[in-house]
Amino acid sequence: MSTSVNTQLTLATFDHEANVLRATEEMRKRGFHIHDVYSPYAIHGIDEAMGLKPSRLTWVCFVCGLIGALGMLWFQHWVNAVAWPIDVGGKPWNSLPAEAPVGFEMLVLCAAFGTVFAFFVVSRMFPGKNVTPINKRVTDDQFVLALGEVDASYSIDEIEEILKKYNVLEVEETSLE
Amino acid sequence: MIKNSYIPPTQFMNRFLYINIAGIIALLAGGILSPERVWGNLLIVSYFLLMLGVGGTLLIALEYISGARWSTSFRRIPEAMSGIIPWAGLLILGVLYFRLDEYAWTADDPANPGTFWFKQLWLQPTFFMGRAIGYIVIWTLLSKAIVGISRKQDRVGGAKLSSRNRGLSALFLVIYSLTFTLASCDWFMSLEPMWFSTMWGVYAFSGMMQISLSVVILTGLHFRRQHVLVKAFSNKKLHDLGQLLIGFCCFWMYIWFSQYMLIWYSNIPEETMYFIPRLKGGWGALMLANIAINWLITFLVLLPKPSKKNPYIMSKIAIVVLIGRWLDLYIMTFPSLHKGEPVFGLVEAGAIAILVGTFGLLFFKSFSKANPVPLNDPAMKHNMHSHAVH
Repeated sequence: MSTSVNTQLTLATFDHEANVLRATEEMRKRGFHIHDVYSPYAIHGIDEAMGLKPSRLTWVCFVCGLIGALGMLWFQHWVNAVAWPIDVGGKPWNSLPAEAPVGFEMLVLCAAFGTVFAFFVVSRMFPGKNVTPINKRVTDDQFVLALGEVDASYSIDEIEEILKKYNVLEVEETSLE
Repeated sequence: MIKNSYIPPTQFMNRFLYINIAGIIALLAGGILSPERVWGNLLIVSYFLLMLGVGGTLLIALEYISGARWSTSFRRIPEAMSGIIPWAGLLILGVLYFRLDEYAWTADDPANPGTFWFKQLWLQPTFFMGRAIGYIVIWTLLSKAIVGISRKQDRVGGAKLSSRNRGLSALFLVIYSLTFTLASCDWFMSLEPMWFSTMWGVYAFSGMMQISLSVVILTGLHFRRQHVLVKAFSNKKLHDLGQLLIGFCCFWMYIWFSQYMLIWYSNIPEETMYFIPRLKGGWGALMLANIAINWLITFLVLLPKPSKKNPYIMSKIAIVVLIGRWLDLYIMTFPSLHKGEPVFGLVEAGAIAILVGTFGLLFFKSFSKANPVPLNDPAMKHNMHSHAVH
């Protein structure tokens, strides 16, 4: 998901999930730089095929959840035991079991929102963003493997030759702005 | 016709036999010293064994009903677990039959205040035993039918048998949810006849899923080491099982806490009578240990992705979860039977050894009766295909 300016890209279009998966795997092993893979839906195993590093989003999720849970427990403790103690059924002011459900809910809420918004920020997605898809059909039924910084020793025909066994539909060059 | 059938080495099976014999000796020796602890321990281990059997069938039924294909390659493991049901069933029926008077309701005093009329009808020795036989017969028949069809597919093939098993699985899930809830209430909740909990069935279910998954992980890793299941039990599948295990450990905690919090909040004597003896002294410490073992350790260790793909960590965690389930059952059972501090002695160790030994003997015998991997299941095509890609 890199967004460098004026990148020369070689686009290979496929019409089957398994083909783009195997093609990505082979091109990475041959030392090509995989710029991105465009697909109408998430493909199982594409992360490994592209050689992506494990996402750090899980850590964001964990930390947000922790902040949500601890923050809410602290807040309930402050309300129930410090700021405005109310006797509920003769229980102690600061009763952890009573605070657990709300703490749990805030854990889920903060973890979920935190993860989603962190994802939006990292991938620079916001309402009204104008995107020109690399190929309109990747939002429907086609898959595009985008190779960046192709070694000069490979011509576009050679790349097409390699990808032929994966039933590549077409290979073209484009520059991404 | 069985291709590449797995025959467990005699030496390996003898190990389980010796564990079993040592367990029986320890149980007898401990039984002479403290006979009052024998029955409760036998109830726990026979129920534990039965849960592993029923849990195996449950995993198969869930696979068929959800159309899951990832787990088909190692389905023979839960199928072998299902083979335990009749034997574990006989064991628990024997345990129940020989000392039914351990249940306080058998000595029902007509003057006993507060016994609900329905409980009077429900908890009668003949009806109780009849129900127990009924549950076990139903589970045995359904699991035999499902496993039988799955094994027949090895010889005959065809998608028709899969769809027949889907129907049987749906039937099993409906019957299971009802009978297993009732069975858990009969055998464990009624140890405290005046007490009740509406969460009991789902509580028992959550624990059952934990140990069933743990046993699949442990035995699957064993078969991988023995080169019986290699591609069929890949690290990808271990990761998926790890996700299910951490999920069901959290689910167990959620259910445990839901039961505790409702009772704590309303603070009614007839409900709190279950927790009060379990929060005092050594039992209170065990209660905390129970939470730590069944949930906290599993949750923290299995949270990072690499640990779910690590066979060493996964097998250790599976053992921790199995210990946790035993402890949970121990806390459920003993404070209702005898006053006093928790004890771990010869009886407990012997009963656990019998559990491990009997499980090993029954499971590996049952596993050797079919090809280690389903041969003609249409789902296998996708299973192995997707494996080749990843």
